[in-house]
Amino acid sequence: METWTDETIMQKVAKGNLDLLKLLFDRHHKHVYNFLYKMSGDRMLSEDLTQDVFYKVIKYRGTYKNGSFVSWLFTIARNSLKTHFTRNQRNHDDIEVLEYKPVESENLIHEDYSHLQSVLNKLDPSDRELIILNRFKEIKYEELAEIVGSTPGAVKTRVCRVLKKVKQMYLETI
Amino acid sequence: MKKDRIDELLPEYLDNTISEKDRVELEAHLAQSEDARKELEEMKALFEAFEKEDITVPSNSLRMQFEEALEAEKSKSAKVIPLESKKKKSSWASNVLKIAASIALLVTSFQIGSLFQQKKTDGSIASLESETLQMKQTVMLSLMENQSASKRIQGVNYIEEIPNPDDAVVDALAKRMLNDENDNVRLTAFEALSRFSSSEKVKEVFIEALSKEKNPSIQIVIIQVLVQMQEKEAIGPMQRLLEQEDTQPFIKEQIKTGLPKII
Repeated sequence: METWTDETIMQKVAKGNLDLLKLLFDRHHKHVYNFLYKMSGDRMLSEDLTQDVFYKVIKYRGTYKNGSFVSWLFTIARNSLKTHFTRNQRNHDDIEVLEYKPVESENLIHEDYSHLQSVLNKLDPSDRELIILNRFKEIKYEELAEIVGSTPGAVKTRVCRVLKKVKQMYLETI
Repeated sequence: MKKDRIDELLPEYLDNTISEKDRVELEAHLAQSEDARKELEEMKALFEAFEKEDITVPSNSLRMQFEEALEAEKSKSAKVIPLESKKKKSSWASNVLKIAASIALLVTSFQIGSLFQQKKTDGSIASLESETLQMKQTVMLSLMENQSASKRIQGVNYIEEIPNPDDAVVDALAKRMLNDENDNVRLTAFEALSRFSSSEKVKEVFIEALSKEKNPSIQIVIIQVLVQMQEKEAIGPMQRLLEQEDTQPFIKEQIKTGLPKII
């Protein structure tokens, strides 16, 4: 059971063996959480969203179509994050009317970032997610292309370009 | 070697996913170019930073909430699935039972119906048969009293159809055989009676007829039948016939050949 691939397990889950989802949760929840945390910089939000991602896996297990499980999982994670941000964007707009947003408070929320994290925070969200997915979970270009809806070649080129950018920023500000 | 190409190959090289051909090419380039070596060192430092980057661990409540949700989902689906299959099974079984019961009911009612029908027809057929038999007997008896000789023969012939004639029938036949003025009627009555030669009454009638009968052809058949029956009581009348003068000579011959056979 421990040696089964994610895909084999997920197929069994889709057929009704819900207990096996615990295995998949054990294997992946930290990565999902870390992806969300590195993307949002908010522990509480990341926990809520991770929770949400696995709820969706339970709920939509029937729609899993034998593809790469990691791609499927991170597509769900990415969409959850996106949905959250588009919703909150509206809220932020409302708040921004007040024009009152001290920089210190932001620093208070985004607690103790490492140097690398601060560099990543400066990237575009789309670039950032590529690097995070590629570096921390070591997701292959093929799966990455599936998640972001692109081709492996294009993804590879982009990852290399962004990596170089990150390297420069990282070394400049060290 | 182009700069873009090096940028693409360096991460692969550091991840050790580079193809053998690319590695040879890249290493050859690295040996020559100081810029490339510097680039590699820098990228290596960045990759190490990624490696060292803390993996934040979510709190335990995440797992608990997940398992709670999973249990909820399980009990939800567990409730549904057996209910469905149970329902399906029971409806299947009850359907079969219903069909079986209806077939059984049909067969039973059909058999009971046919049984009653059979009894009824059997009874009515039996009564009908006995009715016709009685009717024939009456007809026969009345025909035998008829003026016309041919009607009387017809009446005597009806006896063929009566399997076990009662005494009234035998009496009527004996009367015909002994008293009828027509030779043919007497002969027919004799033929009919000879079928019941085992009866004592019939034997007596035959012996009586032997002494009374004047028609030689009838005498002959009576003698033949009596000889066949080995009737000892017939010996007396036969000897009397031998002594009588008006007895036809061929009848005497017949008695002479028949008598020794009786003994």
